[in-house]
Amino acid sequence: MVALDTVDLRIDKGEMVSLVGPSGSGKSTLLNLIGGLDRPSSGDVEVDGARLAGISDDELTRIRRDKIGFIFQFFNLLPTLSCLENVSLPLHLRGWPAAKIADRAKELLTLVKLDKRMEHLPDELSGGERQRVAIARALSVYPPILLADEPTGNLDSSTGAEILDLLRDVHQSLNATVLIVTHDRGVAEACPRRIALKDGLVVKDERG
Amino acid sequence: MKLIKLISWQYARTHKLRSLLTMAGIVLGVAVFVGMHTANQSVMAAFSKTVNRIAGATQLQITAGEAGFDEEVLERVQAAPGVRVAVPVIEAVVNLNLRSQSNILILAVDLTGDRSLRDYTLEEGDDTVIEDPLVFIAQPDSLMATREFASANQLAINSKITLDAMDGPRTFTVRGIMQSSGLTSAFGGNLAIMDVYAAQKVFGRGRKFDRIDLAVNEGEPVAAVQARLGQMLGPGFEVDPPSARGKQFEALSSVYGAMANLTSMFALFIGMFIIYNSFAIAVTQRRSEIGILRALGASRGQIQTLFLAESALLGLAGAAAGVLFGLLIARGISASLGEFLGEIYGVAQRADEIASDPKLLLGALAMGVVTSLIAAWIPARGAAQVDPVRALQKGRYQILSAGENRVRRITAFALLGVVVFCLFFTQNRIAFYGGYFLTVIAGLLLVPTAAAWLSKALRPLMKTLAPVEGTLAADSLIQSPRRTSGAVSALALSISLVIALGGMARASYDAINEWMRVAFNPDMFLTATQNITDRSFRFPVSFADAVREAPGVRVVQLVRNGRLQYNGGPVMFVAVEIAKLERESFLPAVEGDSSTMYKRAAAGEGFILSDNFAQLYNVHLGNPLTLNTPNGALTLPVVGVVRDYSDQKGTVLMDRAVFIKNWNDDSINIVRLYLQRGVTVEATRQWLEQRFAGKTRFFIFTNRDLKAYVTKITDQWFGLTYIQLFVAVLVAVLGIINTLTVSITDRRRELGVLQAVGALRNQVRRTIWLEAIAIGVVGLLIGFLFGVVALYYTIEMSARDFAGLRLEYTYPWGMSAALWPVILGAALLAALAPAEQAVRGSLVESLEYE
Repeated sequence: MVALDTVDLRIDKGEMVSLVGPSGSGKSTLLNLIGGLDRPSSGDVEVDGARLAGISDDELTRIRRDKIGFIFQFFNLLPTLSCLENVSLPLHLRGWPAAKIADRAKELLTLVKLDKRMEHLPDELSGGERQRVAIARALSVYPPILLADEPTGNLDSSTGAEILDLLRDVHQSLNATVLIVTHDRGVAEACPRRIALKDGLVVKDERG
Repeated sequence: MKLIKLISWQYARTHKLRSLLTMAGIVLGVAVFVGMHTANQSVMAAFSKTVNRIAGATQLQITAGEAGFDEEVLERVQAAPGVRVAVPVIEAVVNLNLRSQSNILILAVDLTGDRSLRDYTLEEGDDTVIEDPLVFIAQPDSLMATREFASANQLAINSKITLDAMDGPRTFTVRGIMQSSGLTSAFGGNLAIMDVYAAQKVFGRGRKFDRIDLAVNEGEPVAAVQARLGQMLGPGFEVDPPSARGKQFEALSSVYGAMANLTSMFALFIGMFIIYNSFAIAVTQRRSEIGILRALGASRGQIQTLFLAESALLGLAGAAAGVLFGLLIARGISASLGEFLGEIYGVAQRADEIASDPKLLLGALAMGVVTSLIAAWIPARGAAQVDPVRALQKGRYQILSAGENRVRRITAFALLGVVVFCLFFTQNRIAFYGGYFLTVIAGLLLVPTAAAWLSKALRPLMKTLAPVEGTLAADSLIQSPRRTSGAVSALALSISLVIALGGMARASYDAINEWMRVAFNPDMFLTATQNITDRSFRFPVSFADAVREAPGVRVVQLVRNGRLQYNGGPVMFVAVEIAKLERESFLPAVEGDSSTMYKRAAAGEGFILSDNFAQLYNVHLGNPLTLNTPNGALTLPVVGVVRDYSDQKGTVLMDRAVFIKNWNDDSINIVRLYLQRGVTVEATRQWLEQRFAGKTRFFIFTNRDLKAYVTKITDQWFGLTYIQLFVAVLVAVLGIINTLTVSITDRRRELGVLQAVGALRNQVRRTIWLEAIAIGVVGLLIGFLFGVVALYYTIEMSARDFAGLRLEYTYPWGMSAALWPVILGAALLAALAPAEQAVRGSLVESLEYE
């Protein structure tokens, strides 16, 4: 089965782009390829000057770790770790010193307005709060690229709107490149560039 | 059956590795059981086969323990009513230093009567030798060999063989080579026939025989003749059918048999936890499947039956594989086991064939199935109780509810209360073993709680060591007590076994070393055989007189030891000059007053018992002890008990004069020499070799040689028990692999997230390795605690029911320290494959895994 076919796409630094399309159109696959979670059977992906084809798993992980922040529909927080520990996770993996990690994680949780919930476990938070933690975790290593897969898909509309605002703030304040896969027309419309996929092909790419 | 095919088979197919690991516990347990028992049975069967083939048409055999008896007994037996033919026999196993280097069984008979009991058809040789036995007897250097032995050693008619006889080397001539028959296949074909009167000289028997073989008159009931002869000869003689010798050997090596049982039972017991763990996890993972089945109308009974049937099939497959492996193990070890048992018990035999007993194999299959069913019983019941609505909801199910844990704790403490009560009645066998069993159950019930506590305690440490990997590994244990408690239990039980056996080994070594320091303090030992436990050859008393002439010899002690029957069991007797013993190697009395004990025993007023004899037969200071001698029953009081480790079945020490008087035997097995200060062992050795070379067969052991020999035998014995440790550790490692395999499936999404947010492969591997190490640490700590109790019970069991050895309770700290790297290394090894599995595969699928 072909998930993506002849996709030729360039996203510039600092852009905020939405990826839309019906189920099975290939949008999540595209996001996974850009994020280095998956590898294309042919073709190549270049992220911030680094070509992903043919590189080892560990090199791919390093690119992911240094350049990309992920936000998932189901948050994918580790249930046994507190909010602070979840946000600290990528920093530990990069070998940051402990004091610097704590400062950075606290700063990010304050940024996403969870400074009062730092020691709570994910199970003790609402869906919106969990997604905020996930966003804080994604931002922890100052990634130039943020990839979000249905970031509001598991939230009610008002919480979804809050999360979208947060993503826009992040985009503007950090000048990060943001790519959002979504089914939500409102989220898609809120992005300056919108790409539509169908049956593995780009069928629309509009700006403004 | 349909459900099994549709549901269980599919599950097993998709979880091949786990199914194999689950089965591995049963395979190992059954393999050890079948292997050790079949090897043991093969040795027993080889011994019995040799006995039966040598017996020929013999219906009854008369013996007097190992002491032998005078020639006049033969005349009385031959004249007894109902006896058709009675012939004298001497039997010995010797090494002839021939090409094949095999030991040979010498059967010395009186050919004048023997041909009516045994078939000696020759394929080559001078038939007149056999046709007219007088010719054979007239040439006392005659020997008949089997075709097998002759071929292996390139012997032909008139070949010469030199045998180290008691009175110096003697040359024998092969006068006949026997046709293959029942007799010639005895002892693996390594058999030679000699004249019994020549053998008396060769083996130093004086005018004694080892045995009389007889057949009764036609129509005469064998039992009637047996009873009549028993009455006529008195209690010092055993009159039994040949098959009884096999039973005696079995009784002699019963400690080995008990140990084989213990090893396999323990392996199965630990294997049971692996199965329990696997099924408990399978029920958890398949809860939605169970929910669907329940929603579709399956009853609780059907669900329970489904899981039990799965476990029965798994058990059957595992047991079948275990039986095959066990037979292979038996094939590999039976020959060396035969030699080893020969060295320990002084009874030589050759086990060249495997004797597989269908009953044992069927029993092993049943054992595998039953173990598997017991292990799966609780998870199967759990599966039946799954609520279909809850089962179809997503959520975590691994956490033991607080209520469930509390029930376990309360039950455990109630059981421990019963155990404490049992401790007051340990004299009672049921209270003792019941107490041990309940302690194990209570300990196992407390494992999940203890494992959770210890994991929580380890978390800060692991977080400090590796902030991400350590924390996640500790959390994995804390969050999934169901998953980890089976592996931790198996590991803890294995470690407790290691501690118990290690502690017992340490205590035994200490006790044996202390005993050897005192009892084996002569400078030199002279023996008539190469192996100190073998008593085929004996010195005449005149040898000791000649040894006394050696310059620089301060004391010469004469020892005669051997086996005799006491209360139906084989025990060791040691006849020694007690007064010299008191002076030279004073063993203090553990029952009675030492000075009185030696004084009375030296005066022939009583027996001194080894501690294990007193324990095993419940005979203590002041009790009368009756031994059967060729002169009738000899009853003397027990004048003291000492710590003596000469024999597993117990030892009776008596003064040499008592033995000579009652057994009519003044021969010697061992001469103990104490040298004067300044005289070297080497100088004495040279003098003895010059004095006796070519005149008397003898072997010299220095003090160091003998201690090294005893230490070697002890090492071999404990080497055998270390099989238990190997099996236990292996089974525990399988448990860890099983748990980790499940753990990485459960944590697939978590590990995927870890990689998605930037964990390198090595960092993911490390979290799995750390989880294994954490299981190892928790298992070690709980195991050490279990070990404290297991060591107490093992030492008690050894004292009460196995070897009667009273050992000091010494916790093996050194071994505990050595276990850390062994177990943590094994845990790390167990984690390698699961860790690789964790880093392979699709990251996208992991992130979507539910």
